[in-house]
Amino acid sequence: MPERIIKYTEAIKEATDQVMEIDPSVFVIGLGVSYKNGADGTTSGLKMKYADRVFDVPVSEAAFTGMAVGSAINGLRPIVHHGRVEFALFASDSIFTQAAKWNYMFGGNNNVPIVFRINVGRQWGNGPQHTQALYSLFGNVLGLKVVIPSTPKMAKGLLVSALRDKNPVVILEPRWLFQLKQDVPVEIYGEPLDKAKIMKEGKDITVVSYGDGLVSALEALSIIGDSVDVELIDVVSINPIDHETIFKSVKKTGRLLCVDTTNEAFNIGSEIISKVAQNQSIHLKNKPTSLACPNVPCPTSTALTEFYYPTKIDIANSILGLFNKPKVDKKLSFEELHLAPTLTII
Amino acid sequence: MKSDFLQAYKTMLLMRLAEQEIANLYLQNKIMSFVHFYVGQEAVAVGVCDALKKDDKVLGNHRSHGHYLAKGGDLKKMICELLGKENGLAHGKGGSMHMIDKSVNFVGTTPILGSVVPLSCGSAFEQKYSKKNDVTVAFFGDGAFEEGIVYETLNLAALFKLPLLFVVENNLFAVNSKLNDRRSPNYDIEKIVTGFGVKYVRADGNDYQDVSKKAKNLVEEVRTGVPVVLECITYRHMAHSAPIFDEGYREEDVLEKRQEKDPIKKIKQVLLESGMSEKELSDVEDDIKKNVLESIKFAMDSKYPPKESLYTNLYA
Repeated sequence: MPERIIKYTEAIKEATDQVMEIDPSVFVIGLGVSYKNGADGTTSGLKMKYADRVFDVPVSEAAFTGMAVGSAINGLRPIVHHGRVEFALFASDSIFTQAAKWNYMFGGNNNVPIVFRINVGRQWGNGPQHTQALYSLFGNVLGLKVVIPSTPKMAKGLLVSALRDKNPVVILEPRWLFQLKQDVPVEIYGEPLDKAKIMKEGKDITVVSYGDGLVSALEALSIIGDSVDVELIDVVSINPIDHETIFKSVKKTGRLLCVDTTNEAFNIGSEIISKVAQNQSIHLKNKPTSLACPNVPCPTSTALTEFYYPTKIDIANSILGLFNKPKVDKKLSFEELHLAPTLTII
Repeated sequence: MKSDFLQAYKTMLLMRLAEQEIANLYLQNKIMSFVHFYVGQEAVAVGVCDALKKDDKVLGNHRSHGHYLAKGGDLKKMICELLGKENGLAHGKGGSMHMIDKSVNFVGTTPILGSVVPLSCGSAFEQKYSKKNDVTVAFFGDGAFEEGIVYETLNLAALFKLPLLFVVENNLFAVNSKLNDRRSPNYDIEKIVTGFGVKYVRADGNDYQDVSKKAKNLVEEVRTGVPVVLECITYRHMAHSAPIFDEGYREEDVLEKRQEKDPIKKIKQVLLESGMSEKELSDVEDDIKKNVLESIKFAMDSKYPPKESLYTNLYA
């Protein structure tokens, strides 16, 4: 197959389009999803092709999300789009208490096949109320499946699988990755919703991350070069977390670093480190390490955000430090620090 | 006509007699589940559901025994659910606040006030999306009507022209709070509803005839994609969630007042005037009572779910 490089957002749109072609019960609903460049381009052009299945809505997140959940209870397969997690919280009853509990509380009598696409996290100049990366909040809710696509390939495959699943699936899309590019298969394919993915095999240390943290970790690998053989794992799913894949890796390497691009308290890394620490058959050579954002909201000024997110240099130096190797002394450019990456993932 | 009234009387009486026995079970700690009694409001559920076809859908709230039975529900399965038994409507995982039965198109109930409204809107959305000729009914109370999501959903239903009948059972209290303590002096539900472009009709929720007559006309209009709010002014005879006649907070709540507003007494009077005898009606009552006691015995004898079912059904 010839290479076909597309953007993260284009991969999402392609998955949506391909599933909509096959399954007439799938529809898209959300603020501005019918626009020419709707939902950051992830729904652009769909309204033209599926006039009766793409719905712009009033600015009433609670009601339209609840309506979508009600339609899923009755057999449709909605894709609900929330451009910012802060706005999705208006709909938390519908997501956490209705969609997530419905099948269990009715003894398995009614599944709820719905996909919530929620954009989270980092974006330049967006400040404390537009950049929250509330991964743990969603990971904590039983009855939801929760995934985080870190690459264009995963963005397409996870969305396809979510739309084939019988349960409510939350896809937390890190906005920081929207311009990322990759060779993405043209045909329709799914990625497992409950499996971590080994991005690179290695024997010295297990690095676990997801989303924009994972992309920074990938970049850190090229800084480290051959001096440490890193095994890099993309968590992919945080509900459930695929602990087995992580255990297997840590058993092999004996070292663990978790990278989160959300605040340190109650984050995904804490959960993984806790489970590894409790595993009697794992013997660590070093104490597990965590890199995360400080326990303050993300401010707006670039003078402050410069110190907020763990960078590829921070990640590289954390790893090198564990092996007593000399640290890298490199200052990142303004663009590298503050603008979303446009690189092509191999 | 007389047979319609007799059937309605039977269904309403079934609710009443069943809840009397449920109250006893509750007081004996046999029901370890919240129970919100429907006593006094029976005319609303029966009046509205009599206007529905089998394929039409119903969703309810925490006070939905009556809604479920009115839609053709199975008393045995309902009581099993209340008792937490394996063969209950939700296999014991839901309890009184979570009725579901797809065999009669009873979609489900949720006790989170107001949540039933957008979910019902989604049911109506599906009916329109799939080009069905059916309607959805959402039963909820005057307390739930104060949730913001209800106002958002009125707009949504009107915008998308959905076949949704909102039935507001105004029983005058949200837990123990009176309307006057919750709403500004100029609060006008009709203006609010019609302001969203949704039709509004009020009925006497203590009177089966009034509810059923209005519901029958409205449901056919709703079927054409016109959402409507039907507010039924009714009277909750018991405390919010316990089988007691709590009179502390109600200035006018005395036995005489309850009896005067009792919808079952009212419909019984209609039947007597239509020529039925006290004896015939008391035979009807005896049959229903027998059915209720049999259902309770069946439920008491039924099995509890096995321990393993704690872990099942989280995902489909």
